[in-house]
Amino acid sequence: MQVSDQDLIYFINTLKNVSKYDFSEYSDKSLKRRLQKILEDYNLDLTSLITNMRLDKAFVEKVVKEITVNTTELFRDPPVWHLLRSRILPRFKNNKTINIWHAGCSTGQEVYSMMILLNEMEMLDKAKLFATDLNVDVLDAAKQGIYKYRFNLSYLDNFDKVIKQNPLNFEEYIDVPYEKYFDIDKVKDTITMKKFLTEKPIFRKHDLVTDGNIFFAKFDLILCRNVIIYFNYSLQNKVFELFHSNLYPKGLLLLGMHETILGPWANKFERLGQAYVKK
Amino acid sequence: MKLSKQIQIIIIPLMFLLFAITGITLNYISQARAVRNANHQSLVYIDKLIQIANIVENQTGKGLTADDIFELRPYFQYPAFYETDFPFILSANGEYLLHAIKNGQRVPSEIISKMKEFPDKTGSLNYEEFENNKKQHQTICFKYYKPYNAFIGISYNKSEVLKQLGNSEFIIIIFIIIASIIAAFAVNKFIKPIVGGVNQVNGKLKALANGEIPTTLQSSRKDEIGLMTKNLNQLITGLKGTSAFARQIGNNQLNTEYSLLSNNDEIGNALLEMQENLKKAKEEEAKRKEEDDIRKWFNEGLAQFGEILRQNNNDLSLLADNIIQSLVNYLNANQGGIFVYNENDEGKYLELLSSFAYNRKKFVEKVIQLGEGLVGTCAQEKQTIYLKEIPANYISITSGLGEATPTSLLIAPLKLEEDIFGVLEIASFQEFKQHEIEFVEKIGESIASTLHSVKNNIRTRMLLEQSQQQREEMAAQEEEMRQNMEEMQATQEEMERKNNELEIITNTINQSLLSITFNQEGYIVNANSNFQELTGYSKTELEDKKLYDLVAEEQQEHFNSVWKSVLGNQSFTETFRLKGKNDLDIYIMATISPGLDAMGYVEKVLLIGQDITEEKKLEIMTQQQAKEIEKNLKKLRIEQEISATKQKEIQTLLSALDQNCLVSIIEPNGMISYINNMNVNTLGDKKEDIEGKYLHEIDYTAKHRPEEFKRLWNNIQQGNIQHREFSLKVNGKTVWILENFTPVMDEDGNLYKIINIGYDITANKVREQELNEEIELLKKKLK
Repeated sequence: MQVSDQDLIYFINTLKNVSKYDFSEYSDKSLKRRLQKILEDYNLDLTSLITNMRLDKAFVEKVVKEITVNTTELFRDPPVWHLLRSRILPRFKNNKTINIWHAGCSTGQEVYSMMILLNEMEMLDKAKLFATDLNVDVLDAAKQGIYKYRFNLSYLDNFDKVIKQNPLNFEEYIDVPYEKYFDIDKVKDTITMKKFLTEKPIFRKHDLVTDGNIFFAKFDLILCRNVIIYFNYSLQNKVFELFHSNLYPKGLLLLGMHETILGPWANKFERLGQAYVKK
Repeated sequence: MKLSKQIQIIIIPLMFLLFAITGITLNYISQARAVRNANHQSLVYIDKLIQIANIVENQTGKGLTADDIFELRPYFQYPAFYETDFPFILSANGEYLLHAIKNGQRVPSEIISKMKEFPDKTGSLNYEEFENNKKQHQTICFKYYKPYNAFIGISYNKSEVLKQLGNSEFIIIIFIIIASIIAAFAVNKFIKPIVGGVNQVNGKLKALANGEIPTTLQSSRKDEIGLMTKNLNQLITGLKGTSAFARQIGNNQLNTEYSLLSNNDEIGNALLEMQENLKKAKEEEAKRKEEDDIRKWFNEGLAQFGEILRQNNNDLSLLADNIIQSLVNYLNANQGGIFVYNENDEGKYLELLSSFAYNRKKFVEKVIQLGEGLVGTCAQEKQTIYLKEIPANYISITSGLGEATPTSLLIAPLKLEEDIFGVLEIASFQEFKQHEIEFVEKIGESIASTLHSVKNNIRTRMLLEQSQQQREEMAAQEEEMRQNMEEMQATQEEMERKNNELEIITNTINQSLLSITFNQEGYIVNANSNFQELTGYSKTELEDKKLYDLVAEEQQEHFNSVWKSVLGNQSFTETFRLKGKNDLDIYIMATISPGLDAMGYVEKVLLIGQDITEEKKLEIMTQQQAKEIEKNLKKLRIEQEISATKQKEIQTLLSALDQNCLVSIIEPNGMISYINNMNVNTLGDKKEDIEGKYLHEIDYTAKHRPEEFKRLWNNIQQGNIQHREFSLKVNGKTVWILENFTPVMDEDGNLYKIINIGYDITANKVREQELNEEIELLKKKLK
């Protein structure tokens, strides 16, 4: 069964009625595929799914979790981390504090990557990290800071590329042992983040569509990578507005590798490579 | 029956019989001899008669003639020897030719025929003859006498012959009886001592038969009885010895010497055999007991270890601890270790899994390579190694008593069939016995089997867990992959959307604007067709050029500084005068901005511009006009200043009005388009409630006295200023308002706006009220 536009609207409206989630401004195509996937996984037709959603609050939460996409990895897209290392974070070198918001932190790899990088730059102490996601399950995973080892061998490559190597000078090699930040247990197949990392960030559930800024703070740096691809143009602009209003002047917004600000908010930011600097 | 009686009964009649037979035989022999004698006598007699006959014959005529008979008769007149044995001449046909009595009688024919059959017709013949009704045994002896053709013979009666023997039978009988009596007497006399001896022996034998062992017999006899007695005595003595021997055997004194009675001493041999067998049995018993003990030890051990091996099936190291501890204790050994065989990428090795009372001095490492040292060798060769001399310092046992090197070292492989699973090493101060070694080997197999199954179990469990885990992981990874896919797809779509947008923008730019891309050196990489048309240069011509080359001389320096700034990551919007092909004069308004890479470094330079040549030219033209206009503008400015002053005055006025009066502006159609703050303050109306509403909708008069309102409204419409007074309750207080409606006409005389200015006359009204009340009061007083 293919999910039609009507089906999608029916689903979104039901979700809106039975919960506070509003997916109406999510990207149709992506949402349709996710809904399709849920129907296939649960082997339900749309009517049954919606009936279940009306009857069972917990099921709604489950469905929402299923809809969200939680792709992330340690030092995902190393060039972005090179940018952070060489051009973005040095800007805050003389700040007393650095507020960083990871909007849509998923299972937390980005937060840990950031902390590792900050630590290597001796800036971790003054950093305050806020990490939010819609899905509490992934937030729990993020708090644990335990990841599969074998499936995620690329993490180590990324770590090497970002932490051990200098992209501007390939001869430079800083040997930072993995054990400094995480323990690898090949038998249990785990990568476990050190306690000093896991206890540092503040993890909160947060819905970019409805919740605004839940922290009583403004930010020097907001990372919202590969999130807005699931939003439509209108919602993207709302999110940009939210970020813009909660950034300090000259604060930076870092979007995903293939995400850009087009439209009304584009000229409120200046580009710094991949990043956007609030004008 | 007593033996003596038996002998008497048997021997006495026997003797009697013997004597009788002897007598009878003798009698018979004598009779027979008598008969033979008689025959012989008779034949001799006949011969004599024949001689006589011959003589007679010769004297007489031939044949038997009467002369003959006559002559012969005297010889035949008398019996020859006995009473009736008369001689005779018998003719060939059986007629007595001459007989003393029977002359002329005939003998029976059968006799005569028999006689004829005799050879020479001579012989003797017995026959029976009845005479006086008595049977008479007659014997006839005859000889044929040819000259007479007759037989000459004698016939005698046997009884007569026998009679001659007289009473011999009687004598014989007497003899027999006497002989028998003597014999009986003699036998009795002879038998008695023998029977006595036999009886004595018999008594002893009886006792023997009853199982007693009697005393020996005294006997001086040298005969068989004596021998018998001697043998009996020997038997008794022998039995005594045998019995004593048997008793000793019975008392389990198996080492007693025993000399055989003879080589054929059956019982003795049997007893010796028995002794031997008992000895053997005892030895075997002892051996068996020992074996039993060993077997018991073995089996109990097996059971005990079986139990240990059955438990702890999941924890290899706990299992090993239990095994080695129990084994060392069971063997009364001092220390032991269990090594487990393992394989990994680096090779095959033995790992000390558990040890008991171990203090390895030299080989403290817990991992031993295959083939290394005794343990490694044992594992490699799969053979038990038993050393009674242990290399110095190989091993030592630490105890409260100090250190000592054990004397025996047993290293046994844990193998199942030919697969090695580990090695047991046990050291002891005592030597290991063969069965202990076998036991260890046997246990080794069990341990190996258990290790095998435990390892298998662990591996199976691990594999199971692994597969479970892998399944879960697979599911999780699949989900993650799907999410990755989704993200990629979403990204793709987002990019497509953005690309479309950018493409539209780019197309628009390309179609309507000038667009150039430069590299960092400033060379044109790409210039769009608009720019090509504008400058008259072809694409290829442009690619060799820098923008600098096209910029008009007077601007080149400025351009360079702009270019530097752009490379320093700044954007500039400037107007440039360019020289196109054939010195074509071109003006462009261009934004030059840096193109940044992902890291934010300048990668290229972009120019977006617009051809403003026409405008520029117009501008130059208009600039001159502008100068004139500027003059006019100055005038205007002065006028404006004047009117501004006026406006300010009016503004002040209005502001004063605004502060003191209720001002509202009403459109010709009755819509209230503005009310000032006084309105809000005085009447409590809200701006947003009133503005935009129509007067006739909210006016009290219009509602309650429409006629009056209509009159008022009509007058206003005709351009007449109207007044009215009304009161209303505001916050519980009565407020009085005086309103002036001033219609404002435009140049054409049409109603343009109505300005309503109201005054709060409440104070006056109150005052008036008070006055009226005072007047009323005064009036009352006056009355």
